[in-house]
Amino acid sequence: MAPRQSTPPAVLACGEIRTCLLPARQALDIRSAAQLLGLRADERVLLSERPGLYARSPETLTGVDCPLPSANGARVRAVGTVTAHAALTEGRVLQTSAHCRMPGTGPDQRRPWGEYLVRPGVVEPLGKLPRDAVAQGVLGGPRHGDLDVGLIADGLLTRVLRHPLLDQRPPFRSRPTRLRWAALPAAPGEGPALERFTLAEDELRTVRLRVPEGTAGADIAALCDDLALHDWLLTTVVRMLDGLRLGAGAAHDAGAVVRTLRPAVDHLLHLWMPGARVGRELAALWDPLEERPGFTRQWQALVQRIRDQLTLHAIPAAHREVEPAP
Amino acid sequence: MLVFAASDKGGTGRSVTSANLAYQRALTGDHVAYVDFDFGSPTAAAVFDVPGAMRGTEERGLHSYLEGETAEPVRIDVWRQTEHPLLRARPNQSGRLVLFPGDAGGGEFATGEEALERCVDLLLKLNNEFDVTFVDLSAGRSYAVDMVLDATAHPRMRNVPFRWLVFHRWTRQHVIAASGLVHAEHGIIGGGVERGHDEDELRAAIRFVRAAVPDPESPLWSQGSTAQATWMQACDEALRRLAAEQRIGDSVVLGIVPLEPILQWQEQLITEEDVLSTQIANKETLEALEEIARRLTDDTHWGRL
Repeated sequence: MAPRQSTPPAVLACGEIRTCLLPARQALDIRSAAQLLGLRADERVLLSERPGLYARSPETLTGVDCPLPSANGARVRAVGTVTAHAALTEGRVLQTSAHCRMPGTGPDQRRPWGEYLVRPGVVEPLGKLPRDAVAQGVLGGPRHGDLDVGLIADGLLTRVLRHPLLDQRPPFRSRPTRLRWAALPAAPGEGPALERFTLAEDELRTVRLRVPEGTAGADIAALCDDLALHDWLLTTVVRMLDGLRLGAGAAHDAGAVVRTLRPAVDHLLHLWMPGARVGRELAALWDPLEERPGFTRQWQALVQRIRDQLTLHAIPAAHREVEPAP
Repeated sequence: MLVFAASDKGGTGRSVTSANLAYQRALTGDHVAYVDFDFGSPTAAAVFDVPGAMRGTEERGLHSYLEGETAEPVRIDVWRQTEHPLLRARPNQSGRLVLFPGDAGGGEFATGEEALERCVDLLLKLNNEFDVTFVDLSAGRSYAVDMVLDATAHPRMRNVPFRWLVFHRWTRQHVIAASGLVHAEHGIIGGGVERGHDEDELRAAIRFVRAAVPDPESPLWSQGSTAQATWMQACDEALRRLAAEQRIGDSVVLGIVPLEPILQWQEQLITEEDVLSTQIANKETLEALEEIARRLTDDTHWGRL
């Protein structure tokens, strides 16, 4: 078989991100972060300190040869590699993110493995790709045995969480979230668009995007990492406030309010920077989310609520515990 | 905190009592996980009344997870998926209550190095997410008991607090068996020390729960003859002496659950409704469960003696 010269352009990109609190009492400094994320000896961890501390591991590749998920039951086999990385924001929030791109058509038979290896992050269908059905299948959740980029993200997360640097004493309890995304090509001449952002189950979010042809998979993944990070922050802080018993009945334990909210101040409130690590073109996709439901608006309301609660509890109890007249 | 529920024999009320304790903790606002490591006979689905949610989980339960066949074990949100009409209306201010079921067909299996690592991954993940995680272990010195003794001795688990509840019934044989499970040469303490646990610390983290204990004063027996009452009193006293000799006397008992007729008929959660409106359950049972649930995290009931 003569090697092929090029791959047709990708018509579908998809990925999944796991986001969780780093299980360590202290946030990691930049050197420890580099140690944690040094997944490969031959490549360095990307570190940046502006606008916040951020570390990203080298990309790892996972070979796959399995059917693609599809909403209409079509069984299309695909072969290639899925790329994945781990990232740590402010030494505190850990994410693992796996993604791949798929061309509209691939060779009818499986090619020698070397041909797939030279196209990292590309998964090629055998034959034609039923693009829309696969996009829907990815977002709906793959069946057992189908290509599941979420499993690859989860495997990487498990690997990072086993690192001896972590003392497994998180400053507060929280839930990890998953964000699945699929990006389809935008109509010619159109810019990128966020078609849908859903909160599917308690921990699962799905995002459907349109991107101009030629948008790099890594750029889309960076946008989705950023969405996942901020969605996790919102979810986590909302739950923290949910767990609070407020009002005069709970006033005897003012310490509880401060104990519950303090971790937010210590570890989370300074992390809110939507779009900070997203390319300019895709950063525009934040705009619709800011309009409705208004991520930053909700965040600011939460921050204000936390500050008000803490201020209230700084007032000596004798003055605070006045029952409002009925 | 992790809470391991163990018993030497089956039929001690271990699963049903620990499920009730999980339920009580969730009512107080804690986020609670209930992990079914009773590999031989998973019963938690029946207690939480989630049989429908169990369909199709044959291959994604804890058994498959530990053997590496599935990356994430199935989780069942009890408030949302229960078929119990009272539980479905999630009480205000309650925490989450999540069941991790075993595989429907899974029996005991040999633990290996990788299964242990996966067990540690899971327990750490749960401890980072839930306030209290109950782990229901197969009866006796089972693989499940060995595995969690190994897991809690693992360096990655060094900062994770855990406690053991050993359930037994209030009979001669059960008292001796429960003592053996903990204190015999290769019992929980001996086996734990072999795995690197500190003996005193492990001992300080173990408490006993007497289940299905008939109270001679209870109205249940008021119809009995004087001779019966006297006999019961004498038995009760003899058992107390035996328990003390066996090193499972009152000082290491976290609580006593009275004999509850409805639990003899059906493994189920005891709700306030069962006591107050329908009055099918006894107030004393509910109070005992509430009290044990509270004491789980009350340090005055734990520690070296």
